[in-house]
Amino acid sequence: MSITVLGVNHRTAPLEVRERFAHGAREIPASLERVLAAGARGGVLLSTCNRTEFYLADPDDAAPEAVWALLSERLGDARRANEYGYMQRDREAVRHLYRVSAGLDSMILGETQIQGQVRDAWEVSKAQAGPALHRLFQSALLVGARVRSETGLAAGAASAPSAAVAVAAKIFTQLAGRSALILGAGDMAELAATCLVSEGVRVTLVANRTYERARAIAEDLQARALTLDEAWEHFADADIVLCSTAAPHTVVTWDRVAPVVARRGGRPLCILDLAVPRDVDPAVAQLENVFLYDIDDLQAVAAQAAAQRRSDIPAAEHIVSEEVERFWAWYGGRAVVPVLKELRDRMERVRADELERALRRMHLTPEDRAQLEHFSHALLNKFLHQPTIALKEAAGAGRGYGLLEALKRLFGLEPRDGA
Amino acid sequence: MRPVILVLHIIALGLYAVGTALVLAPFAGLRAAPRVLALAIPLLGVGAHVVGLARLTPFVGVAPTLSMLALFLVLLQVASEGLFRASAVGVFTGPLATGLVGLALLIGLAPEGAPPTRGPWSILHITISVLGLAMLALAFIAAALYLLQFRELKARRFGQVFRLFPPLERLDQLNHLSLVLGFPTVTLGVLLGFGVRYAGGASVDAAQVVWGMLTWLVLGWAVGVRVVRHWAGRRAAFASIASFAAVLLVYLALKLTAPGTERFL
Repeated sequence: MSITVLGVNHRTAPLEVRERFAHGAREIPASLERVLAAGARGGVLLSTCNRTEFYLADPDDAAPEAVWALLSERLGDARRANEYGYMQRDREAVRHLYRVSAGLDSMILGETQIQGQVRDAWEVSKAQAGPALHRLFQSALLVGARVRSETGLAAGAASAPSAAVAVAAKIFTQLAGRSALILGAGDMAELAATCLVSEGVRVTLVANRTYERARAIAEDLQARALTLDEAWEHFADADIVLCSTAAPHTVVTWDRVAPVVARRGGRPLCILDLAVPRDVDPAVAQLENVFLYDIDDLQAVAAQAAAQRRSDIPAAEHIVSEEVERFWAWYGGRAVVPVLKELRDRMERVRADELERALRRMHLTPEDRAQLEHFSHALLNKFLHQPTIALKEAAGAGRGYGLLEALKRLFGLEPRDGA
Repeated sequence: MRPVILVLHIIALGLYAVGTALVLAPFAGLRAAPRVLALAIPLLGVGAHVVGLARLTPFVGVAPTLSMLALFLVLLQVASEGLFRASAVGVFTGPLATGLVGLALLIGLAPEGAPPTRGPWSILHITISVLGLAMLALAFIAAALYLLQFRELKARRFGQVFRLFPPLERLDQLNHLSLVLGFPTVTLGVLLGFGVRYAGGASVDAAQVVWGMLTWLVLGWAVGVRVVRHWAGRRAAFASIASFAAVLLVYLALKLTAPGTERFL
């Protein structure tokens, strides 16, 4: 029995490779089916923008080859997928998943999105996972939750878009129901807008130099499209303004917005300038109740949170190690039962055969035969008692795997299917 | 002083000190205590304090008033945390309440000898007046926190104030609520005080009336600009601080120039 993980992640493969390996939810069952057909009792495929990983229960030697072959096909050229990949077995495979679920292996340390992605992977692969991987993924979700609640690994905003949310949340009592205006069509503004929308902010207006581009983004966010010239008036109503135009100079100037901001009646306005070069004239920050932050400010917030999170890595790793041992104790115990049963069955057959042979040569009364039979049972039980206890204890302490393998090899045991 | 009063006040003092340490811990770079603990410990102190204070009726002397003020400050601190998630209020109220209980213990909570008689209206007057002052103190604290957070946000400094203080709007709401509830409470306390004195045939010093009215008008102005003219944010915070400063200044001025008349509200 074993658990193996193999795949690629943001540390081992560039984006260009990772995006080719990425699986949509609908593709997962077929890919898993193909790998399981090569020889494995269960499988789960975790595929995000930062990783594609196959978790396999009891894989044959051919199963990893099937995974690399499948991924190599997706590369579509002469490159081999295993050049970008890694493989870990047993405890290290369990540790790997727990670290992934806890956000310890994420590009942004401690990010919480991965928890949902692990859950989704498990849900999608449920039919093919098998009992060991079911248990593994269930426990991985609990480990992720435990790390986040007992350490500061998920505290603060560790990326610029989430820092944008954190900064806005220090101005407004609650973000839900606030209105946001997006100026420009930069990727960063879209990312930050997505983060704000997930907190309940309504993006009501999207303004861009070209109206068509504004309309494309506005449709995605169910907002209204404007040209830049139409946008200034709306500084009177919006709570948050996200700026990310491609303009080579400032577009939000004091002259354009000061008269409009004066009509806000003292309501705070949060302007998040995510453009490089900056879109907002720094003088705008001097306006009463206007709070202006540029990309450097947001990155400073993110860096602070990241530093704080890094200091919590040892505590998180400690929890992961604890939970790996707990899982492995269960897993080892689960592996022991069928092997012990097979050993006992094997020894029982030997006892019965040898007793039968001996009794054929002896002419004993029924009472003596019964006596001898009882003696042989007692002897077998005595012989098997200590190894059984030792193996169960070792399994309970998470050290059963080596003993189990030794036992299987010494006695030529292999539990029959269904055992 | 009866030992039970002393013991209960010392228990309250200890629990307030622990509660204050929990509030201050994150500012010292330590991990924040669980919220339930940050609420439960001051509340346990309040429990002991209420029992101890109840045995001090009819609240003769300065010490019981200080003790009562500390009690209301802690209650308002817990309410601020519970309703507004404004644990930073405890940065001010925690040490202040702990100090007030300590001061009350130093002064001596109950005078020796037979206590003077005092009617229930008089006790109600004292209680309501002190509650009103505690609310105005909370408004002052919320305003001060607002201005600190405002300065940090404007200056793009993302230190402990940014991380540990509540959002600006929430502090503004806390200031608004404290003023709007505190001013009528103080007014009711003053009216009860005058009623009790006139009913008892006691005279009221002219200085008390003049300064009391002036201070009441300043407080009324701070509430008026918020409620009628819809001031908010920084302007409202300054108004709130100015009005509370007026109360403190008049108290100190009367205490120094005309001792005995400082109880003008």
